[in-house]
Amino acid sequence: MTSKARHPLSINEEKCIGCVHCLVSCPTKAIRIKNGKARLIGELCIDCGECIRFCPHGAIESQTTSFSDLDAFQYKVAIPTTVLYGQFDNTVLPNDILFALRRIGFDQVYELSSICELTNAALEEYLRDNPKPRPLIASTCPVVVRLIQRRFPSLCDHIVPIEPPREIAAKILRANLSRVLKIPPAGIGIIHITPCPAKIVSINYPASLEKSYLDGAISIRDIYKPICQVLRRNEEEAILRHLFPETLLSGIGIGTALSGGETRSLKNHRTIAVAGVQDTIRILNQVEIGLLKDLDLLECMVCPDGCVGGPLVVENRFLAKSRILGLVSALGERTVVESSDMNLLFHKDFLSFQHPIKPLEIPPLDADPVHAIRKANQRNDLIQQLPHKDCGACGAPDCRTLADDIVRGQADITDCPFMSKEGK
Amino acid sequence: MNGEIVFRQEFEIQGGDFSRGGEVSCEVKNLLREIGLPAANVRRAAIASYEAEMNVIMYAEQGRLDLSVTPLEIRIVVEDAGPGIADIELAMNEGYSTATPEMRELGFGAGMGLSNIKKNTDEFQITSEVGKGTRLAMIIRTEGCRP
Repeated sequence: MTSKARHPLSINEEKCIGCVHCLVSCPTKAIRIKNGKARLIGELCIDCGECIRFCPHGAIESQTTSFSDLDAFQYKVAIPTTVLYGQFDNTVLPNDILFALRRIGFDQVYELSSICELTNAALEEYLRDNPKPRPLIASTCPVVVRLIQRRFPSLCDHIVPIEPPREIAAKILRANLSRVLKIPPAGIGIIHITPCPAKIVSINYPASLEKSYLDGAISIRDIYKPICQVLRRNEEEAILRHLFPETLLSGIGIGTALSGGETRSLKNHRTIAVAGVQDTIRILNQVEIGLLKDLDLLECMVCPDGCVGGPLVVENRFLAKSRILGLVSALGERTVVESSDMNLLFHKDFLSFQHPIKPLEIPPLDADPVHAIRKANQRNDLIQQLPHKDCGACGAPDCRTLADDIVRGQADITDCPFMSKEGK
Repeated sequence: MNGEIVFRQEFEIQGGDFSRGGEVSCEVKNLLREIGLPAANVRRAAIASYEAEMNVIMYAEQGRLDLSVTPLEIRIVVEDAGPGIADIELAMNEGYSTATPEMRELGFGAGMGLSNIKKNTDEFQITSEVGKGTRLAMIIRTEGCRP
């Protein structure tokens, strides 16, 4: 099984040349270069995967579930992200992709757009029932949840306490499969096909559940080639395909992996959709100082354009987005979920968090406030002395962060090439 | 002894620079959090400094925010060189604003700023001289969790 590393990202030291691309790209300043190699600071990392995008050497690797891990299960179910539908050319329809996953070896494939429609409807219901606080923040992107826990702890109670579609789908399967198939629960493996590494963390260390309903996640990158190999259809397969009924896709749910996908269906509420990690941080800063109270829902996704821009996808996000928008317009407003079913599940708390999301505050400069203040003063002095070039040569992303590391005892002022020269 | 300032930092605020609005209060928030003050106090200080910062940006030429921390409280003083406030009592009313239509278009000038500061501080003093400038002095008590 997937080993339970706190963070799925790791540095391949063979490939890492110790340049500064990842340092600068990291929105939480969680990377340092030590002894010529990049190092991740687990306490600060929010698993956004920006560094994967920026590393020119492919040295940042993401640990996802491997195919051999699947052998442990007697019955395997795939729950692919709807982003997968945008990864292949226009002649490949969602049902072809779902069928291809069966051919690869999954016993069952669970289509997610219907569940996206379900959670969208539940979101609307929740907004109606809960006039406060405002704005509420959608919780589908696990990086946003982690960012709020760490950097915006006072916003934890703004997070809409509804599980994301992937967990709801797995929960429905868990509730029924073992009984219907007469297979012990441990024999059933439910695997998400993911566009990003953060889903792995949300499975291994869920923020709002005791235990995730999913068993692992395979990246789109890893599953792309096997799917391509079986997509080459022949007549025999075309016949075989008719043994399986076509899956009904939801027009409401199919676009939720795009930025604005969750807010699109909320016609009676004031909403905005933000995509990209820096803009997400900017907007959360505004919410934390009490702005944007006239908004009902804030949808944030840290990847550009939403999950289609995930760091573990294959197709460029513009093409993927255009294909998914094609599906959205082809399906129109088609709904596949009965509103009575939604009401039942919503009011029985089937869709809710098991427990509220708790802050995970970044440690202060020192556990002892007197020392913390002394260090803050020392840091101000150091910032004055440093050259303000933010070159990254010391191994920290900028001068301010170096000063911070020095007072925390993790770096030395002579790490700065400008300072050591002056010292001589 | 308890009034002793253990940490102090000043920030410049450039009047009229809306594009950087909120940067100073964001820095105040991060600093107070790093010092280890409780999240609720930090949030109140951030809201109060944001409102004061935006007042400088909207109405004044130039201003500065002076943040100091004592074992008992967070003190924030924001002074500006600007038009000043003629009738402070009137200005404290919710909804009262002298914001221009341009500011309102940007979403500012709802007349909630000063009353919001009052709501988020334990002590709030405002002094102003028309034609010279305004000084806001705010205190947020942190007793019980003293640094």
